Amino acid sequence: MTKLITHFLGAIMLLIFPFMGLAQVSDSISLPTSPKANRSAYIGISVGIGLSNFRDFATSPLIYHGAPKYMAGSFIRENSLRETEIRLSSIFGNFAVAVGDEASVSKSTFINIYYSRLFGLKKLNNEKWNFKAGGLYKLSGDLRQNASLGNNAIGIDFFSTIFASAKVSKDVSRKSAKNKKFLFIKYKVKPRKRNIAFRLNIGVINTTIRNGYSYSGQSGILNEQGLLDGYEPKMFSGFRMNTQFDYTIYMKNKNAIQLSYIWDAAKTGGDLDKFEVAHHTFKVTLLFNTNNK
Amino acid sequence: MKKLTILLFSIVFFTSCEKIMFEENKQASNPKENFDYLWDQCDTKYSYFDVKNIDWNAIKVKYSAKIYEGMSEDSLFSVLGGMLNELKDDHTNLISSFNISSYGVNYGGQDNFDWRIVKDNYLPRHYYNSGPFAHEFLKGQNNEIGYIRFAAFTGTVNETNLNFILERYKNTKGLILDLRENGGGAVTDVFQILSRFIDNETTVFYSRLKTGPDHNEFSEPEASIVKPFDGIRYTKKVAVLIDRSTFSAGSFTALSARAIPNLILMGDTTGGGLGLPNGGQLPNGWTYRFSTTQALTLDKKPDFEQGVPPDITVLFDWTNLTQDEVIERAVLELQ
Repeated sequence: MTKLITHFLGAIMLLIFPFMGLAQVSDSISLPTSPKANRSAYIGISVGIGLSNFRDFATSPLIYHGAPKYMAGSFIRENSLRETEIRLSSIFGNFAVAVGDEASVSKSTFINIYYSRLFGLKKLNNEKWNFKAGGLYKLSGDLRQNASLGNNAIGIDFFSTIFASAKVSKDVSRKSAKNKKFLFIKYKVKPRKRNIAFRLNIGVINTTIRNGYSYSGQSGILNEQGLLDGYEPKMFSGFRMNTQFDYTIYMKNKNAIQLSYIWDAAKTGGDLDKFEVAHHTFKVTLLFNTNNK
Repeated sequence: MKKLTILLFSIVFFTSCEKIMFEENKQASNPKENFDYLWDQCDTKYSYFDVKNIDWNAIKVKYSAKIYEGMSEDSLFSVLGGMLNELKDDHTNLISSFNISSYGVNYGGQDNFDWRIVKDNYLPRHYYNSGPFAHEFLKGQNNEIGYIRFAAFTGTVNETNLNFILERYKNTKGLILDLRENGGGAVTDVFQILSRFIDNETTVFYSRLKTGPDHNEFSEPEASIVKPFDGIRYTKKVAVLIDRSTFSAGSFTALSARAIPNLILMGDTTGGGLGLPNGGQLPNGWTYRFSTTQALTLDKKPDFEQGVPPDITVLFDWTNLTQDEVIERAVLELQ
């Protein structure tokens, strides 16, 4: 057991070590001359927690709430003129509803595949501010298990969405060392490259794949086993919107730590048995620079 | 501090967006709202109104009159459970933390089975238990008839236990498969068992699914097909014993047996349960289920939801507790 804990702590230290005590950056941001030149490349590893809720009208009019965990891996290439990100993320945990003495729990996992391209708006950009616009494709799937719903215990949904995206970021780097005081403790803070960013994604083309009218299909009694039995795709249906607020601190060795708040909400279209879901996620991302740019 | 303010503002702002995007919270313990919700769910999704000749609007009038503001949860449960029982379907239940409603189709016929009578008079003391099957050569029949008791579709039927049983009784004249008081379970077991009693691919029934709110809005019937098992099979006569408590997967087996010539249904009409039940939740957190499919006979009629009739009707004589009339009749048929 002690050995296991030692290995675990060792692994954590290996992840964190590149971000420790190396925080002195004094370079000002240099604007690249061509979109793909000098793009920094990062591999990101994220963990987080959140507050989420969903409601599947096909099985219940009640809203299930949870505080799920978040994990993600990403690859980012960016400069002030171009930004590309591929991300695989998962939100998972128990969601519950309680009315009086009645309580139900849904064990749910939400998986997202995310591909984004943003292009710098040259005329608006300067050394402090950076504006980008572009698009994002997000494919999301969820698997929900709620034993109290009998034969409808398993819920699976897919959202495929193309978003229009806009991102604004501001360089909030500390250019010089400063002396600070907290209560009676005096301390000195070093120069550091920092950035805050806000991104808005609005779904323009949304497709959902959901259960049909009767929710559960009949493949079981037809002696066929179909995972998505009776599911129906609906093109140009539903709505999805999400935002992300990032605060990024860069290290001298070009790695970075990013603190983020993500809001992601989606609902299916039509009048019948809608599905609604919203996630508020707070995450920490360790960004490992892979090309020293 | 400024960044924290922006973050907090963002959370409040987007939580508000959520409220605009999503419908209002429907959670309610109000009796009327829960009554209306349940009635409407059944009205638009239950699959057997026409077959059972149920006037659901009349049921609404009858039961809504019993709803009043401030009624106790127990009283509300009685009213809602009573309304569901009008569907006369044991795949229809209301479930709360303090009670579960059920209709009780088995009371539509006499009790036709007693396991102790079977054990005392037809089996040795130490019979075999292979997975979910209890089995042995029937006493006094010179190892010519095998008896298999299958009390529930547990979902644990597998090749090993079926191979063992059918290998053991391969030289018998016939088998008795006793499904009396089998309330159903995993429908996958049905097809595993049936695949051992056929030589050719066989369509055993059809099924159709509710596709819209009208009482008669269904998908096109689809065939349920069983393929013969590639291994040990038994294609001599099999007497399948059924009664009013043979339900759901038990009724599916009985319905399928009508399409397989070497299977003979004996005993009493089954309890039905040929609609696949769904599952849902009311605004007050109680859950419910009811049938959303219809199983159809080979001529595509849904009538056997009321119960699959036996080929040979045999009823228990409860004045003689040393004899199981259904088994006795099965022996005559198999000899």
